[in-house]
Amino acid sequence: MTAEEQETIFRRWLDRHIGLMLKVVRGCAVSPQDQDDLFQDVLLQIWLSIPAFRGEAKETTWIYRVAFNTALAWRRVERRRREKHETFLKFDASPQAQSNHADSSPDREIVERLYAAIRELPKVDASLALMHLDGLSYHEMAEVLGISENYVGVKLNRIRKQLADQLKGANNEL
Amino acid sequence: MNFEDLQKTWQSQDPGAKVTIDTDVLLKEVRRNQRHFWAGIFWRDVREVGTAAFMTWVFLHLAILSRVWSFYLSSFAFFGVGLFMLVDRWRQRRKRPVTNDPLRSCIEASLIQVNHQIWLLKNVFWWYLLPLAIGTGIFVIGLAWNIPMEGRMSRMELVCFLFGSAAIICGFSFWFVYWLNQCAVRKSLEPRRQELETLLASLQ
Repeated sequence: MTAEEQETIFRRWLDRHIGLMLKVVRGCAVSPQDQDDLFQDVLLQIWLSIPAFRGEAKETTWIYRVAFNTALAWRRVERRRREKHETFLKFDASPQAQSNHADSSPDREIVERLYAAIRELPKVDASLALMHLDGLSYHEMAEVLGISENYVGVKLNRIRKQLADQLKGANNEL
Repeated sequence: MNFEDLQKTWQSQDPGAKVTIDTDVLLKEVRRNQRHFWAGIFWRDVREVGTAAFMTWVFLHLAILSRVWSFYLSSFAFFGVGLFMLVDRWRQRRKRPVTNDPLRSCIEASLIQVNHQIWLLKNVFWWYLLPLAIGTGIFVIGLAWNIPMEGRMSRMELVCFLFGSAAIICGFSFWFVYWLNQCAVRKSLEPRRQELETLLASLQ
């Protein structure tokens, strides 16, 4: 793969899937500084993974894999090596900054509470919750994690209950 | 609100909406990161294997110049350490976790790597410190044996004095290196192993 091809794919993925990457980042890191740091790591790993991409997996599945694997290996101490970086993005992850279709106050609050609840889950469960909320099929989730679809189902039942407990008050019927 | 409604609300958010990216600067930055990433690995190898290679060359050079047999042995000790590091690095590089693998495979590969690092550091005495200690010991004895005798000290006393001094200095230095390695195992690698084992268990 040439450098130009790699760059084209990277730009396309960034354009199409930036939301997905940011959801993973927000689901795994708390402070804006950590989120910024993890986001840079995710971007680097996605860039490095592109030459191995043969189109056998869906782009989203691929990006989820890279993003989750990076998030699981990510360490706060790594931050020091990126201190001198140029600013290439303005990454305001505060609730106030989340202008979106769900920007009416109650919806935004629900999303924020969901993020908080997801971050409380064990890491693997948090990955599953993020994918489930994004509407991935059991097959896709199993592919990302490397487990059976049955096991995905079992885990999701448990995760739904856990999320429901944590969101009690907002969503009693979860 | 049921789960489907929650999903709709979740999917209607656009986390990227407030993110403005300068793609050209980002690409430059990602490439810089990539270079930094590989440079880090390269310089670590140079530091560790390069030091052993340099010491091998130094002792070999001394051996050829002075024709003292003990220098050859010291050079061989350093060569052995360097070769071990090189072979180990090469073997482990092939087992490195790949981020586009499924999560489970990636965790398993990371666990193998961490276990290997723990093994290496726990056994640092055998593959690093002991060969260097033997090499240094032989070097000191060889040196003492070849110093022209002029004072009141006998040859054996000189050998014992130099060897004893070297043993004390090396003993402290090597103990410190050993202690640092065991600290790294306790404080960094063992918690990482536990974390990975927990993650793997949650996927089984």
